[in-house]
Amino acid sequence: MKALIASLFLVLMADGVTLTDQEEARAQALMREIRCVACENEPISQSASDIATNMRERVRRMVADGASDAEVRAWFAERYGEFVLFRPEVKGPADWLLWGAPFALLVTGGLAAFLIARARSTQGEPVEPVEPEALQDE
Amino acid sequence: MTELGHFAAFLALAFALASGVSGLSGRREAAASFILGSCAAMSLAFLTLVYAFARSDFSVALVANHSHTLKPMIYKLAGTWGNHEGSMALWCLVMVGFGAAGAVRLRTGRAAFEARALGVQGLLAAGSLAYLLFASSPFTRLADPPLQGASLNPLLQDPALALHPPMLYLGYVGYSFVFALAAAGLIEGRIDRTWARSARNWAMAAFVPLTAGILLGSIWAYYELGWGGWWFWDPVENASLMPWLIGAALMHSLIVTEKRGSFAVWTALLAVLAFLFSILGAFLVRSGILTSVHAFAVDPTRGLVLLIGLLVYGGAALALFAWQAPRLKGGPPWQAISREGALMGNNLVFTVATATVLLGTLFPLIAEGFGRQMSVGEPYFQLTFTPIMLAALIALPLVQAWAWGRARLDGAWKWLAGLAVLTGLFWLLGIGPLDIPLGAGFGVALGLWLVASSLVELKRRAIRLERIFRLPARVWGMSLAHLGLGLFVIGAVVETSQRYETTLDLAIGEQAQVAGWSVSLEDMRLIEGPNWEAQRADLVISRGDSQVTLQPEKRFYPAARMPTTETAIHKTGTGDFYAALGDRRRVDGELRWTFRAYYNPMIDMLFAGVIVMTLGGLVAVAGRRRRKAVADETSKAAALPAE
Repeated sequence: MKALIASLFLVLMADGVTLTDQEEARAQALMREIRCVACENEPISQSASDIATNMRERVRRMVADGASDAEVRAWFAERYGEFVLFRPEVKGPADWLLWGAPFALLVTGGLAAFLIARARSTQGEPVEPVEPEALQDE
Repeated sequence: MTELGHFAAFLALAFALASGVSGLSGRREAAASFILGSCAAMSLAFLTLVYAFARSDFSVALVANHSHTLKPMIYKLAGTWGNHEGSMALWCLVMVGFGAAGAVRLRTGRAAFEARALGVQGLLAAGSLAYLLFASSPFTRLADPPLQGASLNPLLQDPALALHPPMLYLGYVGYSFVFALAAAGLIEGRIDRTWARSARNWAMAAFVPLTAGILLGSIWAYYELGWGGWWFWDPVENASLMPWLIGAALMHSLIVTEKRGSFAVWTALLAVLAFLFSILGAFLVRSGILTSVHAFAVDPTRGLVLLIGLLVYGGAALALFAWQAPRLKGGPPWQAISREGALMGNNLVFTVATATVLLGTLFPLIAEGFGRQMSVGEPYFQLTFTPIMLAALIALPLVQAWAWGRARLDGAWKWLAGLAVLTGLFWLLGIGPLDIPLGAGFGVALGLWLVASSLVELKRRAIRLERIFRLPARVWGMSLAHLGLGLFVIGAVVETSQRYETTLDLAIGEQAQVAGWSVSLEDMRLIEGPNWEAQRADLVISRGDSQVTLQPEKRFYPAARMPTTETAIHKTGTGDFYAALGDRRRVDGELRWTFRAYYNPMIDMLFAGVIVMTLGGLVAVAGRRRRKAVADETSKAAALPAE
């Protein structure tokens, strides 16, 4: 009986990590980007499952122990696989594609747009400005 | 009855094929009659399904699987489209409906073009109807009807969600007609100002309900799923966002083609892509290849058929496009600093944003093909999508007054200075009384700046304030859309950066503190509804003098054997205090209940912003209709200087 009470006490202790407001905000941000392993596409901040509850407690405890965001993410990736990270890590060339392609597209697209604009403006006759639709000054 | 419906649907297929053949061979009136006939037949077919649901006729397999006698009547009716087969029937109905509307309303003075557009729509509809009848028939009877139905997903038993699919489908399928117009224009090799004027009406007619449909879905997810958020970057949500983004790009590109005759090739491409992304969305949602919390009506083999359809339509359209694009004419020359240049920038941002959403949504799927289990979620999109869209938001006030052809830069500096001052102000406030981070301060300043600039532009167009109601409807539409965008930005920034969420674990009589509110659990009760039973909490929240009782519920639907959360929301005026009831646990012999509690500041501002955007679209659609008669007369006088 004593052992049972002691273990219950331990469980309650784990529940009762107290964090400062700043630490709590950091823990919540982390919980929003770690995926629950038992649910369909939900972060642990939202899931009501037992495992998500445990995972949330783990995040809080690690933050209380002074772990950095990267260390928390790394611990979860190590334990459950990179599947749990909604923010995929950059590990290989494919990840560079994932993270880099949007910005690369924007830059090359912008360059192409600029070249098209330049080509369209140098076609001989001078360009006359035309105001967009508006009421006329009376 | 259902057999009659089944027969009518075959008739609709035959009529759609006939309109395809007659339309493509250039006979406008024949194509119009056939597509009207197809619409009438499909309406009848759909009504027989609604009737079967209303009467709870369980000898129809669809009704037996997706309805229940204990359901309220409105949800019995909404149950017609709350499942795969029924929603495909709705899809077909909307498609022939758009064809019928085109048969009546499409008047460009070019009969051959109109015939081809109706013909292409007929072929698209025939494809969908064939899919409906041969791959997912809703008309199947059961030899041995059950006494009771297996109910509808109780999550869908909700007014916002009853309306969400029809709205979304009006948008998705509305783009089929824009696709048909683009295909017909490409066949003729004429994507010009007259084409764009007509296509703009139809693109708007799809864009408005698509926006409203996404909004309804978001509102539903907010109060029904119990997660306190409004957008989760879930694959199913992304599937509807992609056609919306392309649709937004198309709206802007069409303006250039209508006013100047430029961007013809690009506009035609976007018109084709909008519908392809709609089909892609349907494929992603229906095939179940992506894990999603919203996944409904999932079946891989049907997904395969959709994928083949996507490849066939897409391949045909893009081949047509590649063949005819070199023959399309452009408008008068323009410089980089011009209205054309600004709208090109807008299109660049929106298409890159679409590509980003597509990449983030499909990447895990592709990775899985290489044996790698990974996830791409909210943090990815916040670090890629958001900054890319930010470029367009910052540019908008700088460029919105620019003239066609060639514009002056001088006004832009004033606007930039305005943004800098506002940002500085919010940073000072942020460090002081408001206590918000720098990024959020900038975001709020940006939103206010967008609101201000849309009003200033409205006034500028009217020259004098008292004349703003004489401005054309499309100017009002633009201003309202940009104003709504500003409101949305303010709401989204404040909600995302300032929301507070926590989990409570309470026994009856216990108290806790959440975001300055004290929360106490007074009572837990069991209550009964028409087809569910629920645990309901009496959660008293108080702050200062105000005290409110929230009653979050956890419902259980015995017929579907499924629990749902009914959240309780208290509107404080500046935000929502939001509570959802979780599980019951026994700790140390004492019963305790878990609650998710959130404070969501300014969430209504975010939804209101999208409502204002939708209103802007409605004003533009309604106004264009009224103007049309006038335009027909003046267009000869103002005759298209580019041609």
